[in-house]
Amino acid sequence: MTVPSEVAVRTTPHTPEHGASSPRDRPRRADARRGRTSFWPYLLVAPTVLLVGAVLGYPVVRNVVMSFQEFGLRELVQGAPAFVGLANYRELFADRVFWEVVVRTLAFTAVNVVLIMVLSTLVALLLARLGRVLRVAVMTGLVVVWAMPVIAATTVWQWLFQSRFGVVNWVLVQLGLEQFQDYSWLANGSATFALIVVLVVWQSVPFAALTLYAGLTTVPAELFEAARIDGAAGWALFRRITFPVLRSLFGLITSLEVIWVFKCFVQIWAISEGGPNDATTTLPVYAYQVAQTLNRYDLAGAVSVITVVVLTVLLLVYFRQSLRQETDR
Amino acid sequence: MTPRPWTRTALGVAAVITLLMSVFPVYWMVTTALKPTPDIQSETPQLWPSTLTLDHFATAFAADGFWTFWRNSLLVTVGSVLIALVVAALAAFAVARLRWAGRRAFVLVVFAAQMAPWEALLIPMYVVMRDAGALDHLATLLVVYVVITLPFTVLTLRGFLEAIPVELEEAARVDGCSHLTAFRRIVFPLLAPGLLSTSLFGFITAWNEFAFANTLLISHQDQRTLPVWLSSFGNTFGTDWGATMAASTLFMLPVLLVFAVLQNRVTGGLTAGAVKG
Amino acid sequence: MRKNRFAAIVLAAGLAASLAACSSGTSEDSPDEATTIDVWLMRDSVTDAFLDEFVADFETDNPDTDVNVQIQEWDGIGQRVVSAIASNDAPDVIEVGNTQVAQYAASGGLTDLGDKVSELGGADWIPGLAEPGRIDDAQYGIPYYAANRVVVYNTELFEAAGITEPPTTRDAWIAATTTLNSGEVQGIYLPGQNWYALAGFVWDEGGDLAVQDGDTWKGALDTPEALAGMDFYAQLQALGKGPKDSDEANPPQVDVFSAGDVAQIIATPGAGRQIVEANPELEDKIGYFPVPGKTADEPGAVFTGGSNLVIPVTASHPDEAYTFVAALAGEEWQERLAVEMSYVPNKTTLADVLADDPGAAAMAIGAHNGHATPNSPEWAAVEANNPIKNYMTQVLTGADPKEAATTASESITSALSGG
Repeated sequence: MTVPSEVAVRTTPHTPEHGASSPRDRPRRADARRGRTSFWPYLLVAPTVLLVGAVLGYPVVRNVVMSFQEFGLRELVQGAPAFVGLANYRELFADRVFWEVVVRTLAFTAVNVVLIMVLSTLVALLLARLGRVLRVAVMTGLVVVWAMPVIAATTVWQWLFQSRFGVVNWVLVQLGLEQFQDYSWLANGSATFALIVVLVVWQSVPFAALTLYAGLTTVPAELFEAARIDGAAGWALFRRITFPVLRSLFGLITSLEVIWVFKCFVQIWAISEGGPNDATTTLPVYAYQVAQTLNRYDLAGAVSVITVVVLTVLLLVYFRQSLRQETDR
Repeated sequence: MTPRPWTRTALGVAAVITLLMSVFPVYWMVTTALKPTPDIQSETPQLWPSTLTLDHFATAFAADGFWTFWRNSLLVTVGSVLIALVVAALAAFAVARLRWAGRRAFVLVVFAAQMAPWEALLIPMYVVMRDAGALDHLATLLVVYVVITLPFTVLTLRGFLEAIPVELEEAARVDGCSHLTAFRRIVFPLLAPGLLSTSLFGFITAWNEFAFANTLLISHQDQRTLPVWLSSFGNTFGTDWGATMAASTLFMLPVLLVFAVLQNRVTGGLTAGAVKG
Repeated sequence: MRKNRFAAIVLAAGLAASLAACSSGTSEDSPDEATTIDVWLMRDSVTDAFLDEFVADFETDNPDTDVNVQIQEWDGIGQRVVSAIASNDAPDVIEVGNTQVAQYAASGGLTDLGDKVSELGGADWIPGLAEPGRIDDAQYGIPYYAANRVVVYNTELFEAAGITEPPTTRDAWIAATTTLNSGEVQGIYLPGQNWYALAGFVWDEGGDLAVQDGDTWKGALDTPEALAGMDFYAQLQALGKGPKDSDEANPPQVDVFSAGDVAQIIATPGAGRQIVEANPELEDKIGYFPVPGKTADEPGAVFTGGSNLVIPVTASHPDEAYTFVAALAGEEWQERLAVEMSYVPNKTTLADVLADDPGAAAMAIGAHNGHATPNSPEWAAVEANNPIKNYMTQVLTGADPKEAATTASESITSALSGG
């Protein structure tokens, strides 16, 4: 799970980008006394700069360059790729498959994020109304799910949905859906898509639900009391009090989930490698396929550049506030 | 508010359903790993295992290369966590305690790096590492993990450092300590919780990472890490689902332990930090 | 035991973390020590016994060379070979399938052994193996072995079902398999994704997997001929419990057969050895017959499979690698290999060694109707993400064959057009 941006929010109390009130003025005061001639700071940050530059910055640049070259198996082996201008992008934009992948990626993101947000809101509201014992039990369950490594989960999913002895087919047959006897989920595009959606939602709900629940506990009880006196209940209560108060938190979690689902690669690759018949090929999977099975590193580079651009836009929307804070410091 | 009885029942039912939906896959993994094979390959699954066996764990332990992959995973995980901590602590100190031209730019870069879409960089990373002759070395993976976790670690440690009063440190310096000595004697102990939580984060990230391990360690099969090995369970265990689930359980255990240690921090952190966004 | 070991590993991890950069496993050779060559061979292409014997013999003949054989899984092999030949320290020798060697040869990553062809007796090589590895006068792939599929059957189960003569037509084959398929016995174990078998049935009908039209290739699974081939596959597949969503390697079909309740599998004759290796009780109970054709006059069409040995340009020890290739592709070991594995040896002149081998005899009959995969250098891209397998599973699990075939054909077309 390489999702530092989101785990940042998940695990630490002190990440300043969420407006933690760390004492901002202190360093400035101290520094003023110290002067600014020392070479120490540069020496201290040098390893970080070098590592990030070499392992993150350089590949990003290299990717952009590669997307303007002809770069196939021959160039990978022998080197000397030729520049071809925008040819790769033109090829991509003219390809029906690419646009299908784009639409599928958007649909995949939308379906997942809507399900995640609805379910985790329900779970959070549920948690807020449960007694202590049940609440701790449900929260523990959620944390266990959260702790499960992606690859362990994909393996378990393959077993749950196995055609012959999988427990999911058995349950569905018990429920009277005879057509699920020995049903091969991974043979049918929509079924595979659904299976992966269920997996992603299952993995994502714990974080969203626990965060929302934590938010709920900060809503002053008086607000609810007042609304209740006015006769509000259920949905009205949520619409009039809970949602407005937690609007920014909802926004934050939604953006994070959009980003996370959009770039989701491991679950899809480990379960279906984008198949059957590309039914689960999203942009990151497409880039990987184009490179590793067709050996078209140039096209894959172009797809990656497009993905990075889309993600950067999404990230900027989400982080605009924190970015403003950082620039103000 | 005192809920009416039927509301309470409905809530209870909803809670139980939520709990079942969330933990059932985990439960099924563990019980499958403990069931004898005939019970696994049965037309009517046993929801509650009647006989327990450790055979599947034995099969997993005995699988080709099992220990090699554990060693590889531990090496890259522990190695990347330690290196990231040291590198990040230095940078965090410079950012939180020193004033220098370019500091703001540096923080912005680290901030941007924290949001890097790593999944989109698999192919360029592959090409770059190939050019550098660095494919198929565990050390390459280790360095990638360091960089994946580094920005987060820098920013978090900076947060912790800023929360530690400078006066404490200055007092030490008045007593004749150098910058670094002051850091070591005064700041480090107060920083310990931050170091702990960032290293746990690094541990989970590196331990679970699949995409880069699957792309950068291709040719030498004995260089693979646990997630890559587990993802190709079909080659190792065929249709032996008991052994596959046993291996998955073993793979999850360390993370579960880490989470158990981390749990207070998780829930506490959520209320304290994320909510204010 | 486990605990100690775990503690040791944790300790080692701490110590070794700092050394990780040096623990890459490549060997730096000093002149007075033996050179180790890395060799990649494919899973199940030869038996362990044969391999051990060959390596021991090779190391005796070449005391300065140690051989480190890595057995590679078929899963994802294209990606691994590409990575290997594109890396700066490739393995010294790689076994690659004859349908894939053309692509690697064209990439420029393989050593041209054109000047060794006469030394290796290349004039007698089987064309089906030598041609894919050749571009003009350059020879990048050295023929290793060839094989085609036959029906491997359990003679005891055939007798028990009262079948005395192996079937020679499709109708008789279906009838016999239906008889065999009763109770615990599976008439045939045919997993849903054995696309080599499907290809044979499609060729029988006069169809193909893809057809060339001028410069472009088009997937052809949606032709009436190809659909008829798939129809027959489905008919046969239903006469056993083969999983519809996996191929013959998952689980390995020889393991399934060796349990003793499977009457037939479609495999290369070498499977017989592996079955006996897995279950010695089946010794003398294994028979072979050619895949039946539509009429008794002609055996069923089969895919002529095989492997080449290649030496990457970046191999660290090209000379030792060549010595290794020359030995494994040389007459002595080719004869042993043919006898041991029931493979067709790499030279037409060696064919006699198989005269007494029942499996090879069945294979030789089938070989008269041998076919190759579409002759495009991009074919490897089709196999790398094989749409034919998806197609088969979809049809077997109830999808509309025509519709699924059209989709799969489009995928093939797109892969063959290089994007």
